[in-house]
Amino acid sequence: MTRYVSRRLLELVIVFFGVTFVIYCAVFLLPGDPIAALGGDRPLPESVQKQLRSRYGLDLPIWQQYLDYLGGLARGDFGTTFTGQSVGEQMASRWPTTIKLALTAWSLTVLISVALGLAAGLRHGSALDRSVLLGTIVAESVPIFVLGIMAQYIVGITLGWAPIAGVDDGWPRAYLLPALIIAVYGLAGVSRLMRGSLVDTMRSDFVRTLRAKGMSQGDVVGLHVMRNAAAPVVNLLAIQLGSLLGGTVVIEAIFNINGVGQLLYKAIQDQEGTLVVGVATTLVFIFLVTNLLVDILSSVLDPRIRHD
Amino acid sequence: MRGLLKGVGATSVAFALVLTGCSSTEADGGEGSPAELVIGSSDPVPNLVPGRQSNAFGLTMSVFSPLTFLDAEGELSYVAAESVESDDQITWTITLRDGWTFHDGTPVTAQDYVDSWNTVAYGPNAFENSGQLAVIAGYADLNPAEGEPATDELSGLAVIDDLTFSVTLNRADSQFPVQLSQAQTAFYPMPQSAFQDLDAYGKQPIGNGPFAVTTRWTEGEPIVAERYQDYAGDEPTVDKITWVPYSDRLTAYTDALAGNVDIVRLPANRMTQVADDFEDDHIYSFSGPAISYLSFPYWDARFDDVRVRQAISMAIDRDAINEALFGDLNAPATAWTPSIMPGNPDGICGEYCEYDPEAAAALLAQAGGFEGELTIHFPGGAGQDDLFNAIANYLRQNLGVDAIARPSVGWAEFSEDRNNKVLDGPFFARWGALYPSQQSTLRAVFTSAAGCTNCGGVIIPEVEQALNDADASDSEDGEAYAAAQQHLAEGFPVVPLFEESYNFVTSDKVAELTASAVGEPLLTDVILAGD
Repeated sequence: MTRYVSRRLLELVIVFFGVTFVIYCAVFLLPGDPIAALGGDRPLPESVQKQLRSRYGLDLPIWQQYLDYLGGLARGDFGTTFTGQSVGEQMASRWPTTIKLALTAWSLTVLISVALGLAAGLRHGSALDRSVLLGTIVAESVPIFVLGIMAQYIVGITLGWAPIAGVDDGWPRAYLLPALIIAVYGLAGVSRLMRGSLVDTMRSDFVRTLRAKGMSQGDVVGLHVMRNAAAPVVNLLAIQLGSLLGGTVVIEAIFNINGVGQLLYKAIQDQEGTLVVGVATTLVFIFLVTNLLVDILSSVLDPRIRHD
Repeated sequence: MRGLLKGVGATSVAFALVLTGCSSTEADGGEGSPAELVIGSSDPVPNLVPGRQSNAFGLTMSVFSPLTFLDAEGELSYVAAESVESDDQITWTITLRDGWTFHDGTPVTAQDYVDSWNTVAYGPNAFENSGQLAVIAGYADLNPAEGEPATDELSGLAVIDDLTFSVTLNRADSQFPVQLSQAQTAFYPMPQSAFQDLDAYGKQPIGNGPFAVTTRWTEGEPIVAERYQDYAGDEPTVDKITWVPYSDRLTAYTDALAGNVDIVRLPANRMTQVADDFEDDHIYSFSGPAISYLSFPYWDARFDDVRVRQAISMAIDRDAINEALFGDLNAPATAWTPSIMPGNPDGICGEYCEYDPEAAAALLAQAGGFEGELTIHFPGGAGQDDLFNAIANYLRQNLGVDAIARPSVGWAEFSEDRNNKVLDGPFFARWGALYPSQQSTLRAVFTSAAGCTNCGGVIIPEVEQALNDADASDSEDGEAYAAAQQHLAEGFPVVPLFEESYNFVTSDKVAELTASAVGEPLLTDVILAGD
């Protein structure tokens, strides 16, 4: 196990450097000069541009910029934006909001999709099973911003049940609606997997044995089937935490939630390369760490997956 | 994505109609409570130092008071200055009003102005608005092409006494008092405490205006300003203003529909829909000192004939575009500067700015037609797709040319391609003036002066000469600039498209919104409902 974890950690480091380098190049080798664009159609004086370019190291070759950036990262310094704001400070003030939103969304995904999956799995083939499938797929095929804006108009403006912008109302009031919309995009996958896994497990030999021993349906499902059926679902749910953070980018922008997603959205709009790289790097890091934790967790849940 | 968003918007009009009557009570101030305004802003606010801000005009104009002020009629008045005078249009004497203080209680002196302007102009500080001071003698010494400047003071500035200082310009400029007006924020004064820590000052600016920023601002959080009790100028009508940041204009607009924010800028993709969403008296459209053009690549010989350029101009139905895309809020241009500019020669473009497809086709045929594909370039992601697709359509239908509109990846790619002369067809150009004088637009677009260099294509020496003559004349009414526009009408270097309006929607709380000559609402003069 220790060997496995240390090998994975080493891989993680390599992937981390590779991915950040690609992101860094993608952002800073884009056509166009972010300094010249600072003023929109009102160009900055030549001397100002020159000064800013050398201040942010944009006159150095890209590999040197990247190494400088890594050097800064090693000291915990995420750099500054082209307008002189500290990227680290900005992210630090916004992560708590995003984590709250993502965890709320994730909990809603777990609750709703496991319930739906259970209901569909236990009565597979029924009308309920089919409507769960249809409903979740229809919901998931609507683009996220369409659903978001519709929810704003219906729930926020017409019904007035929830605020449509900002998180001033605090948790849970301000977070529930956006979290629910993010959660919708995990429902179809997770509930299908839950259902399938449940149906498979219910057909396995050990369940027949348990039934033959005279165990009640409730105990069979609750004590034995659930644990076995849960393993692939836990895997998927954990991986979803990563894509869920992606969903927060759009939803935070639509609902004006002051989190990391909105920061990334605005950074891309304003061509703030350092900010884009900073946020993307932390997102990559989180994704890698969650994946590692999932792999370790799944071996605990399912002894058949052993890492020696 | 924008197109899809628009589709959603259309279907949600029905919901939107239901709600106009029932906005939330949260935003309404109760009896006797202090008058508060909530402004939604979606532009990035990088730094609040007046010499650096580039899109926090509402805030900067509330926290600072300008030397001179131009109202919506283009009338000049004096605010922090008692007078701005000159005999030769080169050396100006500025006399400040007595009794003005900064929010930290220190008196506003001539020395503060001189120190502030020196700081803004000093090259190594790299202040975004430093170009506004380029007219002052010595600016070039503070911004040498190579190396560090030898001095950190503008040679053109001299303090005469506590309330008087003189400014020597590089050359005669009758428009200098207009340049000192409200939107040229590089000319605002900063107190001595600012120079010790400009970064801290950028988070909580201390100004000489009617409102004081009460807390140190954090990125992404609202900015709050409250009435400054010892303000020496006219009393503002409100007590407190809060600027709430939004991810984009659409989100702010939606929140205004819900009644949570009092004043927001109208997003471009809601211009045709706003009349359904808001009551008439909650929609404000102010003429701005901005104008858009279709420019030509002067490096491409296919556009050398003036008749080709005129034909393209005549083939575009500006009125139809205005109605279909802008909800009739933008006025079709009839000159090379917007009509809000004092002394603007309206209609100088004549028949060439009027839609006449037959005449356009005939003119193009006379010029020998047009060879090859005509690609119109514009910056992508700025909501301009519909406009330029419409223009390309008109050219295809009326001139029979193979016209298409091509967006760039973003602003940066567009300006780089433009400046490197890579663009192979007509392209977007625009200038939003910070002071309403034809000089600002004409100089920026059609001369080599540091402005929107190249955004108007070829630089015409006659225009520059006519501008210099007009600058040196001692009339302030702007009519001297008509001569420069006459050269433009003859040479037709770019096609004038639209005069821009700056549009806003308000909540029920706002009874009347007014703007100054720069199109920005006057937050100090907002009349609240029930007052």
